[in-house]
Amino acid sequence: MATIDLIDLKKNYGNVPAVKGVNLKVADGELIVLVGPSGCGKSTLLRMVAGLETVTSGRLEIGGRDVVKAEPAERDIAMVFQNYALYPHMSVRGNLEYGLKNRGTPRAEIDRRVQEAADILEIGPLLDRKPRQLSGGQRQRVAMGRAIVREPAAFLFDEPLSNLDAKLRVQMRVEIRKLQRRLKTTSLYVTHDQLEAMTLADRLVVMNAGLVEQIGTPTEVYDHPATLFVAGFIGSPPMNLIDVASLSNRRGLDGLPAGTDIIGIRPDVLFLTPQEGISLSMQGTVELLEPIGGESHLHVRLDSSGQSVVLSVPGRPNIAEGSAVTLHARVADIHPFNAQTGRRTDTAVANL
Amino acid sequence: MQTKRTIFPNKFLPYALLAPQLAVTLVFFIWPAAQAVKSSFEREDPFGFRTTFIWFENYTRLFSEPGYLNSLTKTGIFAVSVTLLSMSLSLLLAVAVNRVIKSNRAYTTLLVWPYAVAPVVVGILWWFMFNPTIGIAPYLLRGLGISWNHRVDGNQAMILVVIAASWKQISYNFLFFVAGLQSVPQSLNEAAAIDGAGPFKRFWTIVFPLLSPTTFFLLIVNINYAMFDTFGLIDATTNGGPNQATNILVYKVYADGFLGLNIGSSAAQSVVLMLIVIALTAIQFRFIERRVQY
Repeated sequence: MATIDLIDLKKNYGNVPAVKGVNLKVADGELIVLVGPSGCGKSTLLRMVAGLETVTSGRLEIGGRDVVKAEPAERDIAMVFQNYALYPHMSVRGNLEYGLKNRGTPRAEIDRRVQEAADILEIGPLLDRKPRQLSGGQRQRVAMGRAIVREPAAFLFDEPLSNLDAKLRVQMRVEIRKLQRRLKTTSLYVTHDQLEAMTLADRLVVMNAGLVEQIGTPTEVYDHPATLFVAGFIGSPPMNLIDVASLSNRRGLDGLPAGTDIIGIRPDVLFLTPQEGISLSMQGTVELLEPIGGESHLHVRLDSSGQSVVLSVPGRPNIAEGSAVTLHARVADIHPFNAQTGRRTDTAVANL
Repeated sequence: MQTKRTIFPNKFLPYALLAPQLAVTLVFFIWPAAQAVKSSFEREDPFGFRTTFIWFENYTRLFSEPGYLNSLTKTGIFAVSVTLLSMSLSLLLAVAVNRVIKSNRAYTTLLVWPYAVAPVVVGILWWFMFNPTIGIAPYLLRGLGISWNHRVDGNQAMILVVIAASWKQISYNFLFFVAGLQSVPQSLNEAAAIDGAGPFKRFWTIVFPLLSPTTFFLLIVNINYAMFDTFGLIDATTNGGPNQATNILVYKVYADGFLGLNIGSSAAQSVVLMLIVIALTAIQFRFIERRVQY
């Protein structure tokens, strides 16, 4: 049980900055997901918290204690690695016990905790097997178990599900969420999968190029992306970002805040039929229709600028590729951005 | 591991392609080995006029001869010492180099050099350094109050050949250990660090067990090396002396056969050595087939 505070945390590799000053307060028992594209510094940040990377500057506190100079073992954290990092020459039991033995935990206590973790994760029958005899999902559970038995102040997850197949990933995602709710252990979770991020997080930290773009609950981040980057990164299919200057018909856009030169429209609020209230309409040609089950993604090339936009439509509409369509969007659903600053122009979004 | 299979349309082509290697093996290995086995059952008179077939007498004599039993013991001491010394030092060096990130290529290159030196040259090199009359090592040792003369002191002679033989083998072991260390995933070390294990504990409980296939392979290779590849080195430094103190089996084969001209006994000793090599190789193959044991 602990809070984690990052105060202007920076990391340079030589002259190359990887993390350019991150501020983050993780509350006790909270699950924070760090999400961003490859190379955005999210893993580096997590490894700094774990003590596997040195801190170039800034402060790092776990449970109110400054740990910048502390060894990984002294930070009272447990980490789940992307490749699980199970000790291949030890049995599952050996893997679970290793950290406890190193800390001189009494035998009875070790047995109790291992049994408890095995019960929680349903890996009891696997305890005497070696890691190579386990499937990917089972290894993942053992890796989780190794973190649980330690009963640490915080869990750190470094893309723990990225080596699993799609079905198992969804299943393990749910289990991690349930487990974290049950144990109420403060957690930092790194992923590049925005769906994973949205479903797991109490709060999301969206990172790009070593900086935090936005911190907020998944719904806040989805409903009010603070920057153009967040707008394009969170949501699938991604938000359509359209240059205002390229639109031939700007009727309805007068009400947007001053300085708005890019508008963002999510695919699910673009319609083929006229909408009530003030709305924007755009002419286009259908390029491609992707049926994906309950809904379809319609790719439309706008006549005014040649830009391609995506809208999701329910069911499987009978629209021929190449036919002309008119797209409608309510002005209330439009996200206004400024291209120069990259930020929203309507309301400033609180970060922290 | 994937093996590439080629299918030859012509039945004789594969044999033709194998023929040169088979011929070399046959003429230079199999045939002399067969000759050795044959001679080991024979006795030749001093002038080479007559050979008599005497069944196992060469062997029974061999194992009742104190000189041979002494040589067996010396070989054991020599092989174990060389293996332990060269393997432990090279593991230490490999671990050290593995920790250096920037200049590890330079260190690796330097550490591999001794392997390029011929055994006889290695022998001469150490012979000079430890030469009781002109060598630098005895001079320094005298400062410490140790009088070094491996021409007289059998133990000192043994130490000298062990050092020389180990020095040469360190390069080879080092390369394998470095490769082995690099195949241990960094994340295991990190996981163990988070699990509260210090650097030494991490090495002995995580890294060393994962190196065990490499270690076992090197163990066999080193024993083989110490027992059979050190002839030139012994010949250049001590000639098996003083008083048989460094007369290991492979040197004794040469000394008895070519210097003492006792062909029958020498051949019997060769056959015994051959059996040892076969046994060691069999152990190694069996292990490699089963592969990694964790």
